[in-house]
Amino acid sequence: MRGPAFLFRWLREVTWFVAPFVVLLGVWWAAVRISHVPLRVFPAPGDVAQAFQAQAHTGALMAHIWASLRRVAIGTSLAIAASIPLGVAIGTNRTVAALFTPILRFFSVLAGIAWIPLATLWFGYGFGAITFIIFNAVFFIVLYNTILGVTSIPQVLRDAARSLGANRWQVLVEVLLPGALPNIVTGIRTGMGFAWRGLIAAEIIATNAGLGYMLFLARDFYRTEVIVLGMILIGVLWVFLDRLLLAPVERRTIERWGLARPVP
Amino acid sequence: MRPSLLRTLHLLLAHPALQGAGPFLLVIALWAVVAELRIYPRAFFPSPGEVLLAFAALMSKGILPAYVQDSVTRLAVGAAAGTVVGIPLGFLIGLSPTSYRFFWPLVLFFQAIGDIAWLPILLIWFGFTLTTVTFVLVYTVIFPMIFNTALGVRSVPLEMIRAAQSLGASPARVLWEVLIPGALPNIITGLRNGLGYGWRALIAAEIIVGTSGIGFMMFDARRSGSVVEMILGMILLGLLWYAVDAWVLRPLEQATVERWGLVRPAS
Repeated sequence: MRGPAFLFRWLREVTWFVAPFVVLLGVWWAAVRISHVPLRVFPAPGDVAQAFQAQAHTGALMAHIWASLRRVAIGTSLAIAASIPLGVAIGTNRTVAALFTPILRFFSVLAGIAWIPLATLWFGYGFGAITFIIFNAVFFIVLYNTILGVTSIPQVLRDAARSLGANRWQVLVEVLLPGALPNIVTGIRTGMGFAWRGLIAAEIIATNAGLGYMLFLARDFYRTEVIVLGMILIGVLWVFLDRLLLAPVERRTIERWGLARPVP
Repeated sequence: MRPSLLRTLHLLLAHPALQGAGPFLLVIALWAVVAELRIYPRAFFPSPGEVLLAFAALMSKGILPAYVQDSVTRLAVGAAAGTVVGIPLGFLIGLSPTSYRFFWPLVLFFQAIGDIAWLPILLIWFGFTLTTVTFVLVYTVIFPMIFNTALGVRSVPLEMIRAAQSLGASPARVLWEVLIPGALPNIITGLRNGLGYGWRALIAAEIIVGTSGIGFMMFDARRSGSVVEMILGMILLGLLWYAVDAWVLRPLEQATVERWGLVRPAS
């Protein structure tokens, strides 16, 4: 597996991944060059690179990125910590689960953005409101998926574990949690997708730091190069978060514990 | 006590008319109790009755029907545009391995630049207008459509295509009778994801751009501090999605997944 052939294949993969972006940059550069779009309307790649340097140099950029990532991390961790135990508890009783499911469907639709007006009223403009919005975006979807996961475990498996002498705790740790894990992880991934978008929207409206705020502030001064820089960063950060962190975790869990399901 | 209570609940839930509504009645009752106890100030936490009154008032003034119509029309336009552009693009990308390898990273990247991140630059280009809202919505719907259509086309087994070809099918017939049916379940998934993201993008765009629509109503209520209208807006958003889900997505899924695809858990 390892060796020159492996290295060669890896290099080819990387080239295939990078090539489209190089072409995109070239087209972008040429288009701005030919059409003479003013900087107030659309920046050239060079302007964005300069904006990146300037912002990185003052440390403002890192502060914004840090603020956004920290909010997502805190909101998501809180939501996961609250929703999984609750989901397992609700899921173990089918009647209770049937009772909660329609309500949770309702709230998972409201994920994130729809809470912005109410959240800013309850918590004021700032950290509390944004954490609440991210929390909601993740909480209801993970809860819904946890219940779905637990209820989809065949009763036979639980009975089998019980009849082999497992106590309640062992059934929980060795049957229910692993069985529901693929659903839980899928829920986390979907929820974080909504949370990331909700975060940007919330930062535009309700705060004074973060990537969304950086974008909207730049709009006030027609600094399109900063806006495009922010957009690229939002995209790159999400690709990193989703493809390098969440997707592999989801794949492993499903391979290890679940049935193969199409990944949206 | 507990088992019999659960049994009663179970019987109640088994009734078809209450299957969906029952849990909501409970939540509304709980909400009413919390509101009546006045744990939170009334201005922050209104009762269900107040929200109902606000609903009646806004309905009779004709504001609400107009806003709902605006939002739903925008969503429909976005979905239509996304479908018309997204599916052919998805097929173009999915049909050839080379174009798939080339465009795949780009689609991934542009899908990742969350819809709302486009708002600031769109506001510079088009100002606070309907064009901005429409652009964001169409953008949001298109990428999941392209993504999933390409995925669907790629997932059609090569043997199927070859079998059709060896039976003398022309390229057009292969497209029409093999590739499109084979990709349909994925396309519907794309539509569901696209509409899900699009619905939220629409609300965000209406909140920020603010000309009309349910999102605008909610943010307008935020400015005047009217919690009642915010909650009303949230309830409407949830109900409208239920309607879209029950009347548009579910029938489509049933028609395509049952006929051509595998059964998947609904999310």
